[in-house]
Amino acid sequence: MPPIKLAIIGAGPSSFYVASRLLASLPPSSPHHSALRIHMYDRLWAPHGLVRYGVAPDHPEVKNCTHKFDDAASDLRLQFFGNVNIITTPPIAPVPGSVMLPLKSLISHYTHLLLSSGCTLPTLHPALPPSDDCVSALSLVHWYTQHPSVVHKPPPPLEKYKHVSIIGQGNVSLDVARMLLTPPSTLEKYDVPESVLEVLRRSSIKHVSILGRRGPLQAAFTTKELREMMNLEDSSMVPIDHTHLAIPEGTKLTRQQSRTMQLLQKGSKNKPGLDFQDLVVGLLRSPTGLAPPLSSLASPSLPYTLSLAHNELSPEMRAIPTGETSTLRTSMVVTALGHQAEPTIPWYDPSLRHVRAVGSRVVNETGHTMKNVYASGWAAMGARGVLVSTMIDAYGVADTMLADSFPEQFYKEGDALRSATDGGSLGDLSEVMAKEADLDSVPEEVLDAKATGNVTDYNDWRMIDQEEVRRGEKLGKERERMNWEDAKAFLGRMGGSL
Amino acid sequence: MFRSIASQTLVRSSFRTYANGVPALRSIRPQNISPRSIRLFHQSFINYHGHIHKPKPGEELHVTFITKDGKQHEFEVAEGDNILDIAQAYNLDMEGACGGSCACSTCHVIIDPEFYDEIPEPDDDENDMLDLAFGLTETSRLGCQIVMTKELDGIRVALPAMTRNLQSKDFN
Repeated sequence: MPPIKLAIIGAGPSSFYVASRLLASLPPSSPHHSALRIHMYDRLWAPHGLVRYGVAPDHPEVKNCTHKFDDAASDLRLQFFGNVNIITTPPIAPVPGSVMLPLKSLISHYTHLLLSSGCTLPTLHPALPPSDDCVSALSLVHWYTQHPSVVHKPPPPLEKYKHVSIIGQGNVSLDVARMLLTPPSTLEKYDVPESVLEVLRRSSIKHVSILGRRGPLQAAFTTKELREMMNLEDSSMVPIDHTHLAIPEGTKLTRQQSRTMQLLQKGSKNKPGLDFQDLVVGLLRSPTGLAPPLSSLASPSLPYTLSLAHNELSPEMRAIPTGETSTLRTSMVVTALGHQAEPTIPWYDPSLRHVRAVGSRVVNETGHTMKNVYASGWAAMGARGVLVSTMIDAYGVADTMLADSFPEQFYKEGDALRSATDGGSLGDLSEVMAKEADLDSVPEEVLDAKATGNVTDYNDWRMIDQEEVRRGEKLGKERERMNWEDAKAFLGRMGGSL
Repeated sequence: MFRSIASQTLVRSSFRTYANGVPALRSIRPQNISPRSIRLFHQSFINYHGHIHKPKPGEELHVTFITKDGKQHEFEVAEGDNILDIAQAYNLDMEGACGGSCACSTCHVIIDPEFYDEIPEPDDDENDMLDLAFGLTETSRLGCQIVMTKELDGIRVALPAMTRNLQSKDFN
């Protein structure tokens, strides 16, 4: 069988788990050991995707998975190219400083392609168009992780906010709430940039409402994140209306649902009413609009009026408006309604809002499976699940790729994938990738950009990583992040200095 | 007996399509130490992950891992070592993405019911993570939270599949 020369678009956890599985499956003892090359491209200069630019700073343990990614990157068959944005058309949200490389320049150098670029755009709410005081949770996550796309944007003016309304009840919404309500003195030891801590120290936020259109059983957050909300040191939760916590007769709760209900019923560790910041978990509420600020107001710190429709659940667990409404005075609205893939990525399906893939393999708009083109992670599944689901998906994708390429070694009796490849349900395969490729060739555009210092490799990242940790140690914290300008200066590019 | 229970639970969880994963394809690292004190049903080597201790003579505890392919791997281990560290030291397919800090569910194991009640109850943190484990069973635990004690001598743990393999119904 011909070798696998794989280009991976994206260098997040899914990419690394696929790469790691491929590398480990073809060890030096394997006849195919040297028949594998993996080139991983990311539009950002730093690798690890959401592990670096998504995981909440107060969850440092989750980032330990990068040890495995570092191990994979120490295999000479894997190379990382940071700051390379593979495009078909110009992206909706380009990253400053990233080199644009047309997909067609890439694929002539590779026999295999994996789309693993995640879900990088926030899903917006039709009634809540973005403005200075109505932002996506992603933009706040980008701010507190210093994502390259927001480096030159001003920080959120938390000093003028008193009440924040977060729309959506998933883990991102709880991450944002926790970042806003946790005392900065507690966050200081984590990977929170000094510039972010400064803004948090000036914050006037006293109240946070987390609003969801459905009930507690439909909420997407996990119990760990909810428990953390209940245990916040300087905050308390306003008890939830018990009618909203009633469990419909005949409902069989999952383990996670019953533990979520227990937590919500028990309430926060700090009892409400004392001098705490407070948290409201608002269930069965849908925003219908945000009235613009009025000029003459009794309380200028709460300029906006958020209108809410009250819902009840249909037997199919859909949110149905009851006709009742209410309003909420607020200073800022944050929408945390999930994420979708960048629509300009190849084989994007607008109805799915991610890549069209069936069982790891990418399918084109006419239903043909693309030969040797795969998708993994959120780019393939949509934005859901925690690290373990990403890992399990990635291992499955790697196994499919191996079984397709080296069936004599990796095909297992009973797997559907082989029979599918043999004809059957996959039908005609469309080919776009190179039939053969020089195992070590790299697109010229990438080499040119690398020569000018605009493309990073994994050794660059290792140096930056160590330096960030070193700078952090001096400040008594996990790490102090660099942005691309700092990193370039540190790496001695552009004539910068420390 | 445990083997049949373990396979039943795995079959039961297969509706989620996680159970029929292909066996682990890990590189075996040769030339590494294989302590003489270890009885092997099937050959394994300690790799660099090892954070485990050598048991004192006469104080060896026994643990048997049942991998997805049905193979049994029995090791003599020291009191105080946890199941995740032991599995990784012997290169079994247990992930431990968070480094054993009870912040993920990738070291999920299924415990022999005979031993399940001998293990101290899971705390909130572990339960929060078990909520997210694939193929959860009545006797599921996180390997990083099970510390070997004399009471657990002879414990048997089954490793659930760590891949989501393609099924025909994925094509429907």
